[in-house]
Amino acid sequence: MPRRMRDAVSTALRSTVLSPLVLLETRASTVRAAITSRNDVLIARGRVATDALTANAVADENATLRRLMGLSSRLRDGFVASEIIPTRGIEDDFTLTLNVGTTAGVLPFSPVVMADGLVGMVQTVDANTSFAITWAHPDFRVSAMSVNESAFGIVQPHLGSGAERWLLELRGVKFAAKLDTGTLIVSSGLGATYPRGIPVGTVLGEIATPEKWARTYLLKPSVLPAAIGPVLVLLPQRATRGVNGVWTNLAAADSAARAIAAAGDSLARKAALDELSARRAALDSASASASASGAGGDSAAVAAPITRADSVRADSVRRARAAARLDTTRRPPTVPPAVPPRTGPPPGGAL
Amino acid sequence: MRGPPAASGAASAFRAWVGFALLVAAQFGVRPLFGGRASVDFLVIAILFAAVRIRPGFAALLGFAAGLAIDALAPTTFGAATLVLTCIAFGASWTKAVFFADHIALTGLFVFVGKWVFDAGYVLIGGGAKGVDLVVQLILWSPLSAALTAAVAVLLLTAFRPLYRPQAV
Repeated sequence: MPRRMRDAVSTALRSTVLSPLVLLETRASTVRAAITSRNDVLIARGRVATDALTANAVADENATLRRLMGLSSRLRDGFVASEIIPTRGIEDDFTLTLNVGTTAGVLPFSPVVMADGLVGMVQTVDANTSFAITWAHPDFRVSAMSVNESAFGIVQPHLGSGAERWLLELRGVKFAAKLDTGTLIVSSGLGATYPRGIPVGTVLGEIATPEKWARTYLLKPSVLPAAIGPVLVLLPQRATRGVNGVWTNLAAADSAARAIAAAGDSLARKAALDELSARRAALDSASASASASGAGGDSAAVAAPITRADSVRADSVRRARAAARLDTTRRPPTVPPAVPPRTGPPPGGAL
Repeated sequence: MRGPPAASGAASAFRAWVGFALLVAAQFGVRPLFGGRASVDFLVIAILFAAVRIRPGFAALLGFAAGLAIDALAPTTFGAATLVLTCIAFGASWTKAVFFADHIALTGLFVFVGKWVFDAGYVLIGGGAKGVDLVVQLILWSPLSAALTAAVAVLLLTAFRPLYRPQAV
């Protein structure tokens, strides 16, 4: 049969009576292709999922490293960057093995920090490695304060159970100092280990303790356990010099907001006092004029000291703005009150 | 008493055609699901099962139609399947008296021979393979395919006896 006729007959048959069978065969072939390629599809899907997980991990690591580089640029000098060596031990959750040691200048009690805040403290140092305790270690303590310096205390791990084990406590806060939720707690610089101004955590709330003369607050750590990656070890000279301005973006923002709020409060308080004094002055002048008219004197001389509230408001606004501009993390030096020399017999029998 | 046998014959013919249609559908709907060079040929089973029930002329016509369908889907060997399947259908119908078709083993052998002859004729006439490939096809893949087809035919005859029970139409 000629090829042209053969093709014509084949095409005619395929397009008419055989079309359902052709369609059936096509679908069966598609099903077979799907079955045979399912394994490849599963392998490819698993590979894509693995790549996605790796990409997320790489992205997280990049973000951590970028923030760490930002911290490094702010610190400028006096620190050593370190990687964490994975270890297997009893206290793995609370200790870190760092790949820097005495050859890099690391000494015991060197603070370990990240861009988010305080991680812990170097405890033991070898030549090329060192071991640090994290804030979750039962022995961890840091003197801390709120960023507005209204409350001071000692931060230590919250030895609770479950997820609460990964929280901190701010203990020994004076009873008059009440902290709001979300207040940033930073190291106070008291003591010789941690310089002032390293973020430690944020206040979650107050917890009840047997100590009725002091408050204890629960803190959310600034550095979460899962976020601990590459760290910076502050060398002793840097710790001694302080880290003012390194984490101030965070602290200053908080303190600036509080200063603005405080300025607003002081303005209102000043306005109320002015109005009160004006009313009082008006009453005084009225009584004075009444007495003067009774005595035949000049009332204008008595009414002159009346102070208008508007006149002091501009001044108070200026002062409030100046106060808001100040860095509240820097506390003005307080001069202790002069104690007069004691004379006479020592106290003791007075009680 | 001619009523019941006529009705029984019509019902048997209807079942036979249903079985034939199912096998044709399986040829295009199930066979592509299985890969490999040795595959089950449902169309040959359908032709052989139908041929033993009908007259040789009608069987040849059925084989011609089935072969034409195969050739329409494989135009490069157009005519080979038509010719071979026509001959096989005619021969199966003509030799149906030789085989005791209700015997399972004989039916399996019948299908095996029919499928092997079909493959041999199709390969030889179609010219798809030459030399060693032709030999391998004839003594390896064709017997394997024929054995597989015979096994399936026996299975079908066992499982769906009402559809494929030999009885003259």
